[in-house]
Amino acid sequence: MDFDFSDDQESLRDAVRRWVDKGFTFDRRHALAKAGGATRAVYAELAELGLTGLVVPEAHGGLGQGAIDAMVVSEELGRGLVNAPYTYAALMAPRLLAVAPEALQAQWLPTMASGEAMVVPALQERASRYQLAHVTTRAVQTASGWQLDGRKTVVPAGDEADAFIVPARISGADNDEAGIALFLVERRAVQVTGYPTQDGARAADVTLKASAGALITANGHAVLEDAVDAGIAAQCAEAVGLMDKLVAVTVDYMNTRKQFGSTLAGFQALRHRIADVKMQLELGRSMSYFASLKMGAPTEQRRRAISQARVQLGSSMRFVGQQCIQLHGGIACTDEYIASHYFKRLTMLEMSLGDTLHHLAEVSNRMQDTAGVFA
Amino acid sequence: MDLNFTSEELAFRQQIRHWVAENLPADISHKVRYALRLSRDDLQRWAKILGKKGWLGWGWPERFGGPGWNAIQKHLFEEECALACAPRVIPFGPVMVAPVIMAFGNAEQQQRFLPGIASGEVWWSQGYSEPGSGSDLASLKCKAERQGDKYIVNGQKTWTTLGQFGEWIFCLVRTSNEGKPQTGISFLLIDMKSPGVTVRPIVLMDGEPEVNEVWFDNVEVPAENLIGEENKGWTYAKHLLAHERTNIADVNRAKRELERLKRIAKAEGVYDDARFRDQIALLEVDVVALEMMVLRVLSAEKNGKQSLDVAGLLKIRGSEIQQRYSELMMQAAGPLSRARIDEAMEAGWQGDLAMPAPLLPLAGTFFNMRKTTIYGGSNEVQRNIVAQTVLGA
Repeated sequence: MDFDFSDDQESLRDAVRRWVDKGFTFDRRHALAKAGGATRAVYAELAELGLTGLVVPEAHGGLGQGAIDAMVVSEELGRGLVNAPYTYAALMAPRLLAVAPEALQAQWLPTMASGEAMVVPALQERASRYQLAHVTTRAVQTASGWQLDGRKTVVPAGDEADAFIVPARISGADNDEAGIALFLVERRAVQVTGYPTQDGARAADVTLKASAGALITANGHAVLEDAVDAGIAAQCAEAVGLMDKLVAVTVDYMNTRKQFGSTLAGFQALRHRIADVKMQLELGRSMSYFASLKMGAPTEQRRRAISQARVQLGSSMRFVGQQCIQLHGGIACTDEYIASHYFKRLTMLEMSLGDTLHHLAEVSNRMQDTAGVFA
Repeated sequence: MDLNFTSEELAFRQQIRHWVAENLPADISHKVRYALRLSRDDLQRWAKILGKKGWLGWGWPERFGGPGWNAIQKHLFEEECALACAPRVIPFGPVMVAPVIMAFGNAEQQQRFLPGIASGEVWWSQGYSEPGSGSDLASLKCKAERQGDKYIVNGQKTWTTLGQFGEWIFCLVRTSNEGKPQTGISFLLIDMKSPGVTVRPIVLMDGEPEVNEVWFDNVEVPAENLIGEENKGWTYAKHLLAHERTNIADVNRAKRELERLKRIAKAEGVYDDARFRDQIALLEVDVVALEMMVLRVLSAEKNGKQSLDVAGLLKIRGSEIQQRYSELMMQAAGPLSRARIDEAMEAGWQGDLAMPAPLLPLAGTFFNMRKTTIYGGSNEVQRNIVAQTVLGA
């Protein structure tokens, strides 16, 4: 039982934080968002720091680090409001490729680790919401290899990526867990329609029409669950970084802004609100630790823990985000001011990889089947 | 970072678990499991069993006869006791006054008072709140005047938990009206058998006389019962409050009660109702999050780090959770919880009613739990303290 970070993890945190402080100021972030949310140049800078290969095995040119290191990096990227698709490209994609045939791994992982290649999962379909088993994209084997047909939407950094990891159905009905295969599909094989996102990054619709794909695995569902759990753990950490910074900004403002002859910090209604905000932040931080620490647990335990963490972080993100806007007043509603950008990211994050109600249902349904969380 | 306990910690847990299983009387754990009424004898019996083993002062350092456990070991001990349905140790002696005597008492006081606390022989009460001084404790008026080698105490204390059983009481008393209210307070140990001490129970809304008013009418207290220096009592009391913040969160009991809630909900048929079960699921998340927050504090303590600034949050969250599980248990019993059968609070009661006996104490427990967000510094006072830390002003 130990919640201290190792010296290496502290150095990793410092390195990311130094880059954010110097290289990713809010002015830069604001300008990027205004110009459409491009992230590839930012991703290349993360690559220079060695972060894109953080969890890629050493044999494929990565650093082979684990969930806690990913958590440390994600928290700092959150604090800096870094808009690159780090969770998807650097943390989830290598995990999905880990079950691919060796040749496919050797073809992609080294360039993914170095950041030359950006590969993102393309999971979302029009009607799938947060159900990983809902896959209507179909794949068939032809003489020239696998061909995929279907459409994915709001694919993170979809018009900047070099390739996609695409779940496609090779058998079964639209909602079956069995029959979902994973494919690596290159950008040139699909049609991409990009757009900016509400939170200052980019996404795209990816249309597959007899698109060629390389088979990663024919048993994709469990792998998807595992990678999504890793993504959720990272996003929990990102949320903690976002909230930490937003609270700090809010506290500064409360100590400066005067109304009725007093700083905002002088009003008890607002003091109690910031205490409640602090509560949600620290409950969130505690459960972010819990999520990453449980990533190595047996599947059932891991899934339950991830959903529990996500429920807490969902509540925390909503409360901290919304109340920090309220505590500021009008200024925080402007595009010019930093708080609104953190709030928008927190809001969108709450609906990524399963929202709070989705994960509450997961916790609730799993609860039925067990003697109890502490059994 | 590691969420797992070390093999040494796990072996320690096993040792505690084994000992508690061997030594906790079944009639007592039965009452705790079903939230039945515990008598003075029940509480004393368990305290003395712990005392004989040297574990009633489980947080004490070795030089005062304690086991010298670290933060994690203390937590594991508390958890094993809670999960085995041991009664909560009445904290006033071993958890509250003893650390103050150790830190600020003289050697003579330590030799005189600590053995009786460690053995469970002497029942201590707490004399802090007064009718006019609740959250604003520093405004207290109960007066102690020095006359030669004794103090003459006059005034009233209230909300004295289980004071009807008390033999000694540690009191904050006013010894000066100079300067700020905090600087005129002293920490005095008073024998409750002294002439002029009157104890009157107050019946709470659950029907139980859990707390008391204590009057002091020209009570003579030997000056040697003063802890530390006169007018420094507020500092000592703050030391006491800082001491046991993870304990007040009571996460271990919350874990036990969460499982009991699930059993009740299953028995009453509401567990299959997704709307009800989701409420339990939310509570489960709250309990896990509280536990993680407690463990963060304990880990920092064990590693000799400065106490995390989350400690003040633990009381707020812990008390909210206590209220919530008691509320959901009552709601699980639903309309049946309306019946009030005072005899059902005693073990072994069997009435010829449609509802099973374990449902009958649930509403009373819920009513009783309203105190948790009020005592120990109301949650609003706690928010003031948290805000002070967060805002730095």
